[in-house]
Amino acid sequence: MKRAGTEASGVAVWLGAASPMRSIRWLDGTLAAAAKFGSATAVAAGDPTWLDLAADRANRAGLSCAGVPTELQLDYLGWAQVMAAVARQLGASVILVDEASRPERFPEVAALAELLDAAQLTHVIALAPDQTKERGAVIHASRVSGHELQTCRIRGSVVIGVRIAGPAIDEYPTPIPSASMKRLDLAALGLDPVVLGHRALPPRTGQPTRRTVARVAEYLAVHVLPRKGT
Amino acid sequence: MGAVLVHIDLDGDRPHPSSLSALAAGRAVASSWGGTLYAALVIHDPTDRGSTDSTGQISHSHVPGVETVRAALARGGADKVVVAVTDAPIAAVWAAVGSAWQGVLDHLRPRLVLFGADAPSAGELGPRTGARIGARLLVRARAVGLDHVELRDRDGGYIRASDGGAAVVLIGATKPTTVGDDDIDIVVLAMPGGGDPRIEIAGSVPTDGQGVIVAIDEVSAGDPQILSAANRLAGLLGAPLVKSSATPLAPELCVSIGTPTLDLAGASSLIRLGHPKTGGKHVDGELSGLAATALGELVKALEEG
Repeated sequence: MKRAGTEASGVAVWLGAASPMRSIRWLDGTLAAAAKFGSATAVAAGDPTWLDLAADRANRAGLSCAGVPTELQLDYLGWAQVMAAVARQLGASVILVDEASRPERFPEVAALAELLDAAQLTHVIALAPDQTKERGAVIHASRVSGHELQTCRIRGSVVIGVRIAGPAIDEYPTPIPSASMKRLDLAALGLDPVVLGHRALPPRTGQPTRRTVARVAEYLAVHVLPRKGT
Repeated sequence: MGAVLVHIDLDGDRPHPSSLSALAAGRAVASSWGGTLYAALVIHDPTDRGSTDSTGQISHSHVPGVETVRAALARGGADKVVVAVTDAPIAAVWAAVGSAWQGVLDHLRPRLVLFGADAPSAGELGPRTGARIGARLLVRARAVGLDHVELRDRDGGYIRASDGGAAVVLIGATKPTTVGDDDIDIVVLAMPGGGDPRIEIAGSVPTDGQGVIVAIDEVSAGDPQILSAANRLAGLLGAPLVKSSATPLAPELCVSIGTPTLDLAGASSLIRLGHPKTGGKHVDGELSGLAATALGELVKALEEG
C-alpha cells in the first residue's frame, strides 16, 4: 500500500470533485501521464462513490491517492482552494489537472496556479518529464492553442491542464471502498467549510436537453464565428 | 459601478473579431449599468526594458503601431484604451503576457472583465484573471436585454447590475457595433518583469483546432442536401466537417449529424441532429426526425440570428 505524502513528493494529479462524464479514459490518460514522473499522488474530492472510483483508477496506474470527502458544491475557485491546500500538504510543485473529463474542470487549472503562485499551461496533449544533469528537471509539453500545436519546456512550479486519453474502456469493475486512499478532511487542511461556502455554486436545476430549433439555435449562437470587420 | 474592462487580442494589426464581440457586449453593459468601458491590450516592444518601478510607468504618449487598433476600438465603443507594453514576446499564454495584464488589472481594478471567447488568449487569461480578482466566471455568455442588460451563459448562469462582487465573462458571438468616434484617450503602461521564465515556448506548427467540430455519418454525407447544409453549419461555426472517427476527441462542442461514431470527452458539449434515439445522457440539445429537416431549420435560424 502506498501512502500519500510520503513517497509522492513533488507531483500531484487533481482529478476533480465529480466522476468523469461519458468515459473514464481521459482520467486514465491523465493518471498515465502522471505515472511517467515516477511517483505522484492522485487527489479527488466529493462523494464517497467518486472517491472510491478515483482511488481504484489511481491504484491501477500505480499511483497513490488522497481523497477529500465533502458534500460541498463549489465553483472553480472553491475547488482550487481545496486542491491548493492538499498540494501544500503533499509538497507538490507539479500538478496535473484532468481537463477533459468534465467541462467545469478547465478553469480550475488557472485558479490553482494562481493560488499556488505557479506557472500554468492549459490544453496539453502530450507530456514528457526529462531530468538531465545539464538542464535539471524539465517537462516537455505539447499543447493546442487555436490552430497551432505548440511545444513547450517547463521548469519549476507549474499547474498543467491535461487532455490525454487513455485506452478505450467499455466497462470497468465497480470500485470497492479503498483502504489505501488517504482521507483528508477540510479542517486538517486548514480549510473552514463555512468560509469555503462563499464559493458555493448557487442551487440550479440541471438544464434539460434542448429539443426545439429555437432552443438549440440559442445554444449554438454563442459559437457562431464573429465576422471579420472594422 | 466600477470599470468594465475588455481584453483585446490582436489579429495582425487589428483587434481580433472575437475581442470586438466582447467589446460590443461590454458597450451594452457599460451603457446599461453606468460604467466606463476600457479596452486593454498587451503589446511587445523589445526596446522597452520596463522600469524598476514594479507598478509600471503610466504615460499618455503616442505608441507606434497602435493607431489602427485605437481607431477600431473607438469605433467599437470603448471609452478609453489602455496599452500595456512588455518586453516579453507576445504569446497566448499567461506566462508570456500575464505580468503585463496584471498591471492593467491593478491599474483599473475592474468589476467586470470580458474576453472574446474565441480570442487566442481567452482560455489562458480569462480564468486566471477570475482567480486573481476572486471573480465569478461565466464561459460562453452574451449580453441580453435592452434597458436592463445582463450577461447570460448557455446553462442559465447570469451576471446582473445588481450582483455584488467581480465577474469575468468569456463572450460568445455578439455582433460588433460601430458606435464611437475615432478620438479617445489612450493610457500606456510600461510594465516591468517580462514573461514567466518557467514556461518556454520552443516552437509551433499548424494543426486542427479543438474548438468546434461538426460530425456527419456516411449516409447523411451521401445526401447532397444534408451535406450542403452541414457545410454551411460548419462554416458558421468555423468548424471542420468530420466523419466517424475512432480517435478520442475533446472539442469544446460537437454537432453530430445522423449517427457518426465518435468518442467524445466529458468536457465536450454535444448537439445531436437526426439521431434515431432521443434522451441519451450528456446530450445538451437534440433535434430528432429527419436530419435534413432539422439541419436546414437550424442553419436558417443561425443565419438569421
